[in-house]
Amino acid sequence: MVINRLQNYFNPNRNTSIAPLVIFRILFGTMMFFGISRFIAKGWVTELYIKPEFYFGYLGFEWVKPLPGSWMFLPFILLLIGSLGIILGVFYRWCSVLFFISFTYVELLDKTNYLNHYYFISLIAFLLIFVPANTFFSLDVKWKRVMERTQIPVWNIGIFKFQLACVYIFAGIAKLESDWLIQAQPLKIWLQAHRDMSVFGKLLATEWVAYLFSWFGCVYDLFIVFFLLNNRLRPYAYLLVVIFHFVTWYLLPIGIFPWVMIFSTLIFFSIGFHEKLILRLSSLTRTKVNFTPIISTFSYSSKKWIPVFISMYILIQVLVPFRYILYPGNLFWSEEGFRFSWRVMLMHKEGNATFYVKDRQHGGEIEIENDRYLTLNQIDQMATQPDMILQYAAFLKNKFSDTLLIFGDQKVHLVNPSIHANIFVSLNGRPSQMFLSKKQDLTKIPYNFAPRKWLEPFNK
Amino acid sequence: MNKSKLIGILIIASFISITSCKKENEEEEIVFQKSELLSNIGTNLIVPEYEQLLIDITTLEATYILFINSKTNQNLSEVKNSWEIVYKKWYSVNMYEFGPAMNIGLRNAVGIYPSDTTKIIANTNSGMYVLGSAENVDAIGFSAFDFLLYRANSLNFFLNSAIYTQYGLDVIQKIKSEITTTLNAWNGTYLSTFKSSTGTESTSAFSLLVNEFCKTYELAKNAKLGIPIGKQSLGIQRPEYIEARMSAISLDLLYENVFALKRLFNGTTATGAAGIGFDDYLIAIDRSSLSNSINTQFTAILNDIEQLNLTLEEEMASNPQLLDNLYTKMQNLVVSLKTDMSSSFGILITYQDNDGD
Repeated sequence: MVINRLQNYFNPNRNTSIAPLVIFRILFGTMMFFGISRFIAKGWVTELYIKPEFYFGYLGFEWVKPLPGSWMFLPFILLLIGSLGIILGVFYRWCSVLFFISFTYVELLDKTNYLNHYYFISLIAFLLIFVPANTFFSLDVKWKRVMERTQIPVWNIGIFKFQLACVYIFAGIAKLESDWLIQAQPLKIWLQAHRDMSVFGKLLATEWVAYLFSWFGCVYDLFIVFFLLNNRLRPYAYLLVVIFHFVTWYLLPIGIFPWVMIFSTLIFFSIGFHEKLILRLSSLTRTKVNFTPIISTFSYSSKKWIPVFISMYILIQVLVPFRYILYPGNLFWSEEGFRFSWRVMLMHKEGNATFYVKDRQHGGEIEIENDRYLTLNQIDQMATQPDMILQYAAFLKNKFSDTLLIFGDQKVHLVNPSIHANIFVSLNGRPSQMFLSKKQDLTKIPYNFAPRKWLEPFNK
Repeated sequence: MNKSKLIGILIIASFISITSCKKENEEEEIVFQKSELLSNIGTNLIVPEYEQLLIDITTLEATYILFINSKTNQNLSEVKNSWEIVYKKWYSVNMYEFGPAMNIGLRNAVGIYPSDTTKIIANTNSGMYVLGSAENVDAIGFSAFDFLLYRANSLNFFLNSAIYTQYGLDVIQKIKSEITTTLNAWNGTYLSTFKSSTGTESTSAFSLLVNEFCKTYELAKNAKLGIPIGKQSLGIQRPEYIEARMSAISLDLLYENVFALKRLFNGTTATGAAGIGFDDYLIAIDRSSLSNSINTQFTAILNDIEQLNLTLEEEMASNPQLLDNLYTKMQNLVVSLKTDMSSSFGILITYQDNDGD
């Protein structure tokens, strides 16, 4: 039954208009161009990828290293070129590959900067490589680099709808937990901070508003996709999308993410809507477009590997957010299976981490001032994320192993120090609790995917 | 259509009913405002304390000029007194290193310690110095006088060298000019900017105030106590890092700094008048037990410092355990301030995009 339907879905003869994909390509490219320009203009390339002495790589990807000095601007320039290529549909395959590789490269450098919406962008860029978004209303067509097509396989658009559905629905499922629904945390903390705002400030500082926002946000995330899929409800649903993301943009520090969602969800709109948009754009650019189906001899979608590839992709996307089930303990506390799961704006977690380098031979210890080695942002993220704590400990061990330390007229040869940390964390408005005890020798704890039993237990 | 219309009407109706029924009792409760806190801190703490600091540095300048005209032991101890007063006063404003103070780098210009005595000697020998240069950052400021005034036979150096005397005056006048610039900026437009900058972004005055408060506390803990007693050097004591080692007022300065931070926490003025502070904000968001705990910890730390009868250097030699206990208490308060207090205010410490994880 399911297989039948899937086969039907991937049937090469089941085609649809390319218009939504073309608009999606142009909007995505444009947002990325502005997003990357904003990133560069704010000085974040230097701040995040040139200045730091140490980078928190991802497990298995620690070999991904930043380019030396100002060369780090190179991937960002490539991203600008890539997004221009995507907008114009010129050398599209090359440009989308370039964009995907450059973006993912930058994201893999330091998990300090992990954001769900960066992950989202990586995925969308990856998917764009495999769809013929440049076969209509593009320079590639104009310059006869590719055959023009008005019809494409249904999955070419469906996969993006699926991806958006994942973001919303998993974000909704993630909110089905007691902190969010019963304590209205972390929104209670975040909203009250706007208490001085004119008109709404006092309202935002009241408890019931935090509950209203929490419950509404949860219901919104869970069901908005279904409303967007419904032809009759779509206009209302989209109005809600715009209002919702506008409010989050106004109240929370989430950068371009609201705009990405507002524009991406347009893909749910009808073919007619997108064709009209293209006609508008074509009159602006004084090009002629014609939507009458062109019979294509291109057998792109009849390839056998496509259904397999798509099914694998969907399976991974659906399973990865649930991987936390494999771990004992509280997800927010140990963060095992937290990333890449669309857990957006769910936690307010602050910590204070004091690291100690201990001399095993003579017994003395050095208390570390973290800002000697890490940026403010890195310290902030590291203090509450167990894997980063271990990575930093390994960095310190490396730094202090077999070193001659000179203190005034005394010299100490540190051979093989042990590394310890005293860490306190406050989660979603709770009083701080011990997160990691100084008793643990962090050099003895392996960095892997095994459950993190070395953390102190979480008390609700 | 009908169904969706109905849903729409229901949503709007429920919104209206919720907001309207809440409106009635809303008037009664007074919502805590950050602008009132900033207004109190800015008007009643920061500006008057900079004004007092300016008065005190002007007094130091006057006593120093008096001393230049008549280099007696008596006048030298007058200078020492004035210096002690203004140095202590500095520690009731050193946590305001944002806005005007940050613009001119006030802390670097007046508050770096310990001084590099070799540099000071070189400067006072040659007379060829640019006090504002980066390399002289640890040869100027309040700390320089710990050496100039308190080194062995200091009066002789003043008697024997005009350059030496002039160096002291130059350093005082530089400090005075930096403080004047800062105070003028506050009295100009910054005070009103400060009072209304209540946002959650890391660059808002409120965020800066909270972050600098925490940072200054940590700096006091590390630089005034931790480093000298060996916390960063395998337990090996480092008396050469003691602030004001020669005048031996280190513990007084530590006390002043912690006391001023406690006052800022409570919004209390230098004269002891109560006002709105972080404590009131914590109480407003149902964290009064945290507020109490922070005050109890502050009091305990201040008591411990008062209990120390000897100088810091002497205590390090004879009662290291007492200092270690004091340090532990100070360390515990860091967690309460940085983790508990800051996180419950919901402010940001960094300026990048964030999606909360």
